[in-house]
Amino acid sequence: MAILQAQNIIKSFGKLEVLKGINLSVEKGEVIAVIGPSGSGKSTFLRCLNKLETVQNGTIILDNDYIVKDGKYTKDKDLKPILSKMGMVFQQFNLFPHKSVLQNVMEAPVIVNKQDKEEAKQNALKLLKEVGLSDKTESYPCNLSGGQQQRVAIARALAMDPQIMLFDEPTSALDPELTGEVLNVMKDLAKQKMTMIVVTHEIGFAKEVASKVIFMDEGHIIEEGTPKDVLENPKHERTIKFLQRVLN
Amino acid sequence: MFITVTQALLKGFSTNFIIFSITLLLAIPLGLVIALGSMCKFKPISAITKIFVWIIRGTPLMLQLIVVMYGPSLLFDFNGFERMEAALIAFVINYAAYFSEIYRGGIESIPTGQYEAGFVLGMSKTQVFFRIVFMQVLKRITAPMGNEIITLVKDTSLARIIAVVEITQTAQNFIASRALIWPLFYSGVFYLIFCGVLTILFRFIEKKFDYYRG
Repeated sequence: MAILQAQNIIKSFGKLEVLKGINLSVEKGEVIAVIGPSGSGKSTFLRCLNKLETVQNGTIILDNDYIVKDGKYTKDKDLKPILSKMGMVFQQFNLFPHKSVLQNVMEAPVIVNKQDKEEAKQNALKLLKEVGLSDKTESYPCNLSGGQQQRVAIARALAMDPQIMLFDEPTSALDPELTGEVLNVMKDLAKQKMTMIVVTHEIGFAKEVASKVIFMDEGHIIEEGTPKDVLENPKHERTIKFLQRVLN
Repeated sequence: MFITVTQALLKGFSTNFIIFSITLLLAIPLGLVIALGSMCKFKPISAITKIFVWIIRGTPLMLQLIVVMYGPSLLFDFNGFERMEAALIAFVINYAAYFSEIYRGGIESIPTGQYEAGFVLGMSKTQVFFRIVFMQVLKRITAPMGNEIITLVKDTSLARIIAVVEITQTAQNFIASRALIWPLFYSGVFYLIFCGVLTILFRFIEKKFDYYRG
């Protein structure tokens, strides 16, 4: 049984149609890598899944609950608990600059889930340890490197105990030498069977970690399959051209 | 003589101080309401608010004082306000309009990523606004608010235009009654000291916010 299903997703910005009927089914524990040229709609698709963008038509089902059914959204009140099962990590980290690393991770569990402060703190410390930032809990985001900030962002999303994690180009804003530390954290998550959808330019990461690779272009899914199929034996001409460009 | 003048000026300055304090107390929250109105997605509300701010910022405070003082009794069947009431109404409205633009600038300078981060963590709009956005806005508006508040200290002397007796009026009266000019300079010292204290206070607040960048 798929944990997340997206059917016939249509999204336009004004007259520009950016998603032209996307279908995707994600099984529990799968790691989906979404690749494609910029402007292909891959980030928009990810943002549609958790309603950062609203779709014009289509159906999204998470864990048997409708987020949107044929373009009609579930009522806000009922939608909140459904959406909170999805964690998200952004390209620009989007940490709260006025809060310490620990406060960033504790904030949502305490004010959204009304979790006990001490309990939230212990959980936050555990998560920060997992992403290798035990020594930075009292720092502020402005004093961290990009890679460290992104790892805090991952811990912050995990603190809400999501069933699925969405990554929107998590390493694109990082210096090349810092991408490794973030990708390693994501690899650990994959090993723990976290369900993940990762929009990325890191072909190497997709090859190594993803269970399924999706190639998008101009609002369509052009090709999907195992990393081996899509990345090593691409069938579609556009996939071949794209891979040639990014790998050289 | 010095003691007489000092007592008179202190009494005058207490009026300025009352105008200053009450204006801040009311204009700071009212400004936020106006700012939210001007950013409202419902077009008629934002349009009306923007026209209101344009009129208030586009006309002299002196004119507004006179209108509030004499307008109600001349235009409507209404006895009008006491002088001090009229002064306070004009000051609060005028400063709320200026503050609203400072708030708006501050709020709009917060990247959308902050709202999105809050939203994907399950926070409500109110939680995102007050816990995430507004806390950062406070840091960004400290300097411009300090500037505006220091202007307010000196603007309070405009209340004399509707015959509210304040420090500048008091000092000037000594020219007429006793041909003394020094009380006028002396009144300036009151403003200087008060503005000096505010400057230090705002520097202290800015320092408080120094613990983070962004």
